[in-house]
Amino acid sequence: MFHKILVGVDGSEAGRRALERALDLSAHFNARTLVVSVEENLPAYAATVGEVQDEEGYEHAYFSEVQREVRRLAEARGLHAEMEVVPGHAAAALTRLAVERECDLIVVGHTGHSRLHHLFLGSTADRVVERAHCAVLVVR
Amino acid sequence: MESNVWLIAAAWMALALVASLISIRVGISVALIEILIGVVAGNFLGVHSTAWIDFLATFGAGLLTFLAGAEIDPESLRRHLKPAAAIGTVSFLVPFLCAAAFARWVGGWAPHAAWIAGISLSTTSVAVVYAVLLDTGLNRTELGKLILAACFITDFGTVLALGVLFANFNGWLLLFVVVTAVVLWQLPRLTRLVIARVGHRVSEPEVKFIFLVLFLLGGLAKLAQSEAVLPAYLVGLVIAGVFVRDRVLMDRMRTIAFTMLTPFYFLKAGLYVSLPAVAAGALLIVALLLVKVGSKLLGVWPLTRLFRFGRREGAYTTLLMSTGLTFGTISALFGLTNHIIDQTQYTILVTVVIASAVIPTLIAQRYFEPPRVEAVPKGDGPDVANTRPALES
Repeated sequence: MFHKILVGVDGSEAGRRALERALDLSAHFNARTLVVSVEENLPAYAATVGEVQDEEGYEHAYFSEVQREVRRLAEARGLHAEMEVVPGHAAAALTRLAVERECDLIVVGHTGHSRLHHLFLGSTADRVVERAHCAVLVVR
Repeated sequence: MESNVWLIAAAWMALALVASLISIRVGISVALIEILIGVVAGNFLGVHSTAWIDFLATFGAGLLTFLAGAEIDPESLRRHLKPAAAIGTVSFLVPFLCAAAFARWVGGWAPHAAWIAGISLSTTSVAVVYAVLLDTGLNRTELGKLILAACFITDFGTVLALGVLFANFNGWLLLFVVVTAVVLWQLPRLTRLVIARVGHRVSEPEVKFIFLVLFLLGGLAKLAQSEAVLPAYLVGLVIAGVFVRDRVLMDRMRTIAFTMLTPFYFLKAGLYVSLPAVAAGALLIVALLLVKVGSKLLGVWPLTRLFRFGRREGAYTTLLMSTGLTFGTISALFGLTNHIIDQTQYTILVTVVIASAVIPTLIAQRYFEPPRVEAVPKGDGPDVANTRPALES
């Protein structure tokens, strides 16, 4: 039913749950898996280029660890997962990559936020559902 | 409290810490948050500067300028020299003249105050541009490198204007120019020598050597009624090649700057922004922002077409070159500190500068973003990507 599954992973517990569900689905449908992490915390309106580069280095190191864990979980299921780290806004980057890489399912985790946060900002999952061109699975 | 240096330092460091935490949380640069917290502290908490804070802030501005100069990629600048020099020069000159003329004849500012307006609004924020290019992957393309090189040229125009326009043309200026020329000539060789002989020790002789040069040239600039940021930027530019090969030294300088110096500079920059003056000068703020963006459009956009950028890339480049932050606030604070502009004029300029960091960036990203460059998997290989320039054939 699904040929290529994109899953968003940010190192959080919700992201891990999404990854595990995506890997299970990939194994079930014999689908390819694209694991995407988004560097969201690069400073906008920086004072020096170095400030941006330093933050990028920090994010790079963080997501290298995340990728190691992704690889371990995929290999435990006998799967190979493609991995990418891209800068930008999570929802925009995930939905854009889903189109570019011809994915037919996006899997994201749901992180609990306060009512206030939800009212004003919504969640990445909300925005992925709004923007996606394909099916979206939000894992609680 | 007034005479208790420790408590004053604690209060300022608390503000800096809050700024860091907010910056990490919201993903906006610590510099901008420090300015905004400075605005709150100045308008609502009654915080004010002292002589020693003034020194730390001045040194912070100087070191920031030095780092900005040292961040240039000399190879990239050489490769794109002709278009970068043309676009960068026009990107400085047209907004400089337009903003100064507008402030003088429409705003009714005094001639020297109008020049400060011109300088403040001529800038381009290399860091803001870099962050946007990184976001789209364009920082790895020839177009991105050309845009960054052009931004450096624009900033060079800004610091040159700041250093020359208000200087006294006398013996001190001659001495400053001669000593600066000799130091710049010998500095790359001497810096390499210091690093090779005694570099990377716990006492950090190479950092002290660079500070010595910055203090000395800054002192001579002051004697000539010039501005210390001019030699700081030039020092950064000439030893950028050394820093490209010695990232550890660059990291240490940045750590020193961002921990102990630039927070005082940016907080102080915000401290003098008067909120009532923002409200009263709202029309002028909008008008000056339009002048800045409009004049960049007038100068830069035709050149992008001349150098055969696509329409979209041309508009994107022009908008990115309309951004400003660090040098804009440095120029405005220079004007205020030297009593060339008053607090109301300072408020107007800093507000326009901050708006110019945000608004053109948003428009560029929303409406003119060129196609994204193929993302590169990280962690498993060298940082390579499609580097074909997004120029028209």
